[in-house]
Amino acid sequence: MKLEGVREKISEAIQKAEKITSKNQTLPILKCVLLEVKNGSLLIKATNLDIGLEITVPVRSEVDGVIAVPGNTLSSLISQLSDDKSVSLEVKDGNLYVSSSKNKAVIKALSPDEYPSIPKVDKDTSKTLKIKAQSLVNGLKAVWYSSATSSIKPELSSVRVYPLNNSLVFVATDGFRLAEKSINVKNIPDFTHILIPVKNAGEIIRVFDGLDEEIEVVIDDNQIAVISKDTYLVSRVIEGNFPDYKNIIPKEFVTEATVLKQDFMKSLKINTIFSDTFYHVKFIVDPESKNIQLTTKNNDIGESSTDLSGAIKGQKIDVNFNYKYINDALQSLNSDSIDFMFGGTSKPLVIKPIGDQSFMYLVMPMNR
Amino acid sequence: MDSKTLWNTVLVQIELEVSKATFSTWFKDTYVLRIDSGVVFLAVPNTFVKDWLQNKYHKNILQNLRNLVEGVRSVEYIISQNNKKKDDIITDIPSQNKELPLNSLYINPEDNLNPRYTFDTFVVGPFNELAYAAAQAILKKPVAYNPLFFYGNTGLGKTHLMQAVGNHIKQHHKDKRVHYVTSERFTVDYVNSVMANKVNHFKEKYRKYDVFIMDDMQFLSNKEKTQEELFHLFNYMYDGNKQIIFSSDQHPNYLQNLEERLKSRFVAGMIVDISPLDTESKVAILQTKANLNSFKLPSETAYYLASIINNSIRELEGALNSVICQTQLKGRELTLQEVKQLTKDSNKPQKSISVKDVVRAVASFYNIEEDSIYNKTRRQEVVKPRQLTMYILREDFNISFPSIGQRLGNRDHTTVMHSCDKIKNELKSNSELINELNQIRTLI
Repeated sequence: MKLEGVREKISEAIQKAEKITSKNQTLPILKCVLLEVKNGSLLIKATNLDIGLEITVPVRSEVDGVIAVPGNTLSSLISQLSDDKSVSLEVKDGNLYVSSSKNKAVIKALSPDEYPSIPKVDKDTSKTLKIKAQSLVNGLKAVWYSSATSSIKPELSSVRVYPLNNSLVFVATDGFRLAEKSINVKNIPDFTHILIPVKNAGEIIRVFDGLDEEIEVVIDDNQIAVISKDTYLVSRVIEGNFPDYKNIIPKEFVTEATVLKQDFMKSLKINTIFSDTFYHVKFIVDPESKNIQLTTKNNDIGESSTDLSGAIKGQKIDVNFNYKYINDALQSLNSDSIDFMFGGTSKPLVIKPIGDQSFMYLVMPMNR
Repeated sequence: MDSKTLWNTVLVQIELEVSKATFSTWFKDTYVLRIDSGVVFLAVPNTFVKDWLQNKYHKNILQNLRNLVEGVRSVEYIISQNNKKKDDIITDIPSQNKELPLNSLYINPEDNLNPRYTFDTFVVGPFNELAYAAAQAILKKPVAYNPLFFYGNTGLGKTHLMQAVGNHIKQHHKDKRVHYVTSERFTVDYVNSVMANKVNHFKEKYRKYDVFIMDDMQFLSNKEKTQEELFHLFNYMYDGNKQIIFSSDQHPNYLQNLEERLKSRFVAGMIVDISPLDTESKVAILQTKANLNSFKLPSETAYYLASIINNSIRELEGALNSVICQTQLKGRELTLQEVKQLTKDSNKPQKSISVKDVVRAVASFYNIEEDSIYNKTRRQEVVKPRQLTMYILREDFNISFPSIGQRLGNRDHTTVMHSCDKIKNELKSNSELINELNQIRTLI
């Protein structure tokens, strides 16, 4: 194997692939990325047996071949060679020689025969969805932080994607809060739903964020593949039922408050300095004085309260939340002002951006 | 050979041929789904494994299978996420979230306290007034008695009292962290932490509380390491002036297999016993519980229930519940006879007992000669015990009036009837007599 290519392109691809490789597996080969030169291009493969990734980089190839090298070594090396425009890779005696204008390095390689194959999806028997890469990323990004981090309930530690009318709905919940985002997509194939493990959803976001092209999402029984011009990503999907969350969205609210997002973020930030170990932040919403007061108190540090004006209707309410849950949602609220709809002291709070029906966030209050 | 042993044999063979890492990555989670006319259907956890086994180990697997079973034609790989481990975990997820978010948040895993147990529903009587006073004292003046140790028989409200203290503190001092735990739960926690190699987590978890309540200490016997951990926790909390409350079914000194150093520490604080229930308290408890259920309990019924149920508030509640339930069913107040019928099983199973035993018990209680009960004498100190004997024989053991008369010195059955009526009437007003009756009943 011998090739020469644009350093930046190779570096970018290897960095994406390297993050996928598994860090502490019993199988050393899984720390590696697989480099394959064929038909004038370099194919970089990586997998942790949960998700697989293939990236094609155009290069000037001289000799075809294949090799497996530790991902983090190659990635750190190539990213450091920032003075050079091009870099060449060559396999000699079973090791990988990386050379640039000033640097020559040899990376010990492993036999590529041991490298797991990346599963392929059969487009004939699966359903294919065409979507803008950024739409998919936005959908996942808007909700994935709400998934459960523990793997006790696999269906909660995943993002559910399902079609509804002419949009794809993304939803995630850990049982304490729930985020739902819908994205308009044309020609959605008929499928009930898929559950993407949240870790893999994170990888999809990382790999495809910033890509401006239409991509294909291929939905199989056991896996989904996301395919762009030069990238192929395949992830397992989780079997199981997602909780029927529509029932828990409150229909009636005791208090509704509309505030400017910037103001709210600022007050929340100040108050989090003084929050206690349970991350309590108290909301006192008073329609008479048109005031929302955020209060935090920590016995060891001190306390703080911030007043915030807004349009308020309903009755006065005094309720506690975990500020982390509130803070998480703010990044997904793409509007100048946001709507807080309180269901009561023991019912969920609904947060929505004003003028944007596509996003909704539910969070449960904390008791005292 | 069934498919499970077949596959296990194949796995053993393969394990010898490949490296440990390879085996655990590719083979560990596989199992045979079914064997159908020579085709072995093999369940694999994901597509990666499927591809890998198909491409690299297919021949090997097939060969091994053929060595064991004739006529295996091929192997099919099927992706199946439902391996056994997951079966255990996945249970009624939808119902869990229907209520959503976390009703469990309100039961409050942080302190384990049941909000149902408060002082409002706690009945104070002579049997527990000391315990109640001690509890009130530590509420007014924190760590007045530290540790506070309640002991008493089961069903006398120890848990209620301790949880009420916890709930009260939680309500009035929001900054104080209260934690209620049973000794069993504490032990399990400790064992888990040792297993997970996180003993420090365990220590930190319990040391952060301001008020620590531990129920059912008697279950700590023989658990030396847990006792040691409790000992350290105790010292830490005691030195930090944090309130500790314990309960058990016996005085700490009589707890079996409990370390001396723990016992001596328990004794250092205040030890309060909750004595067996007296009738008034039982009646008061019945009335309170009936009120909670907005049920009007006739005092006659209350006294009857109090008289047949001896030592457990739980039994009282049970009997009351069946009375309430029957009343609602019938839509009218129950007669005493119906109540008796209803609660006949609540009575402790009666020992087969001879008249002699009853006579002996009564005689020994009043310190008179047994013979005098059978005699014709009408001395004051004998008449009452004799009447009481008749009453007990009639009420508790359902012996017929003539038969009682005959056995107690050949008396007429009307004499017996008169005696029983007399005692019954007196029981309504004379609490001392009720007390005596109860004590005699325990003697029989």
